[in-house]
Amino acid sequence: MSDEQLIKEIISGNHAAFKNLMEKYQLQVFRTVMGFVHIKEDAEEVTQDVFVRVYQSISSFHHDAEFSTWLYRITVNTSLNFLRGNRKNRLLQSLEAIFTYRSEEKTPLEELEHAERDRRIRMAIDSLPEKQRMAFILSRYEELPQKKIAAVMKRSEGAVEQLLQRAKENLQKKLGIP
Amino acid sequence: MKTEHHIDEFIQRAKETVPNPYLSTRVMAKIEGLEKVERRKSPLWQALALAISIAAAAFLGVSIGNSYVEDGTPERILNINDRQIESLGYYNFDENE
Repeated sequence: MSDEQLIKEIISGNHAAFKNLMEKYQLQVFRTVMGFVHIKEDAEEVTQDVFVRVYQSISSFHHDAEFSTWLYRITVNTSLNFLRGNRKNRLLQSLEAIFTYRSEEKTPLEELEHAERDRRIRMAIDSLPEKQRMAFILSRYEELPQKKIAAVMKRSEGAVEQLLQRAKENLQKKLGIP
Repeated sequence: MKTEHHIDEFIQRAKETVPNPYLSTRVMAKIEGLEKVERRKSPLWQALALAISIAAAAFLGVSIGNSYVEDGTPERILNINDRQIESLGYYNFDENE
């Protein structure tokens, strides 16, 4: 069933159609959210919120853009809202991640180094300006083409290209890559 | 170059993370819960009608209370000398002496 047909079914009150739509898109939503929140449990919570919002506002979707573009917009906005409301918790979680990181193949020192490296990468991504971070996550986590990212962000392809370039430079600077 | 590889590896690990298989079931349960709450909530017109009827009842009570006018004539007090009816002399022993 196409997205359009599924949406019609959902609007007419068919819950099973919504479940089908969700199962079709839940991985891409979850992956995008992971790019923003980095923690599985948080990503699940945000994914849940995304689909509740989609269900509540699906009647306002007018097919001006593709459904997936509309869904990405909701996903990005919900993720950013979640981050704005959880700044303190996130600091604690990133510290916790260092101490709970476990790998059977590595020595404790290697594990700690690995966890610290992950923390630095996460911090570098999180500290990117909002638009750069959006473009970076959609490009790297979802591997979306620039045209699609431009549609999600309501910008020109050229602007997205610039954002991606700046995001790359900023990450290199923050992580000390010459 | 090495750090770029670490970034790729970090992103790859995040991409390989899969959500809980029951996520969609959880979402459906949440949506159904929200719908039940919505259904339980009375619509706005019902709340308005209730508020208006309470206000009307209070207004009616106050107006009926205000419309009550007291009778102008003062209360009459019955002051009858019933000495003739009652044979009080009997108790006073006047007639038995």
